[in-house]
Amino acid sequence: MEVLKINGVEKKFPAGRFPPTLAELLKTLGVDAATVVAEIDGQIIEKENFGAASLRKGQTIELVRFVPGG
Amino acid sequence: MDELIIADRKFTSRLLVGTGKFASSAVMAQALEKSAAQIVTVALRRVDITNAKDDMLSAIDRKKYLLLPNTSGARDAVEAVRLAKLARAATTINWVKLEVTPDPYYLLPDPIETLKAAEILVKDGFVVLPYINADPVLAKKLEDAGTAAVMPLGSPIGSNQGLKTRSALEIIIEQANVPVIIDAGLGLPSHAAEAMEIGADAVLVNTAIAAANDPCRMAVAFKLAVEAGRFAYLSDPAAAGKKASASSPLTGFLRDKK
Repeated sequence: MEVLKINGVEKKFPAGRFPPTLAELLKTLGVDAATVVAEIDGQIIEKENFGAASLRKGQTIELVRFVPGG
Repeated sequence: MDELIIADRKFTSRLLVGTGKFASSAVMAQALEKSAAQIVTVALRRVDITNAKDDMLSAIDRKKYLLLPNTSGARDAVEAVRLAKLARAATTINWVKLEVTPDPYYLLPDPIETLKAAEILVKDGFVVLPYINADPVLAKKLEDAGTAAVMPLGSPIGSNQGLKTRSALEIIIEQANVPVIIDAGLGLPSHAAEAMEIGADAVLVNTAIAAANDPCRMAVAFKLAVEAGRFAYLSDPAAAGKKASASSPLTGFLRDKK
């Protein structure tokens, strides 16, 4: 099992199913890449780099998006 | 209406609307339309990865509205700066409504952390609109730090109490060289009109519209109130006095002089 910490929760991936890139992770989670902002280990990843941003086990991922607010 | 200019961008509406607390995204979209607002605020939160489809803001036409992300939830300058940078990565513009509210009960903004964050964000190229208490000294310091506007509160967020801070707001307005946007606590159109009458450049309303039983009609009411208040301010109102001043002629009554 390989683990990523996503939005504060540890998510385990079986061997061979670990998403190689941020874009792949979003696809696995069913998150529309167009609506999110991502950080890997505290570094903001620009949207155009989601496909190139490779992931390693143990990393901390933050996925945020705009929500209604005042 | 005369144009509102913030950081070289021109707006014909002086009503900013928050997108929180609406019953549905459809109602929100309709109310925004009715308000004629051109700037709408949004917040930034973690994606619920167990319900990733939930994207309420897809109802907002981003060509029509300038999205103004806030830093709500930030308890200090470091958190606010982080949120602002995330928001910038999500939009094509670099505007941010800076709010730092460490106290969840009254949601009053922290002046020291707000100033600290504003200085960092201005240096980083952000157009900063800070939410502050009605503190004229702080407003001046933020302006000196390069913020594009100041957003003093009328009363606590969502409290609908109106302009409890009126005399301090009047000092802020008198001293400001950047737009003053009265934010928070405006519960009725009359509160918004009052804010505009004392010379505010704009107001931001969320709860009063979103939590009304008929948000669309209330959006219209606020739009009209903001316009009325602005026109009244520009008309240079006649002075108030203690005694009556007859509006009808005091001569030619239907009786003879004694």
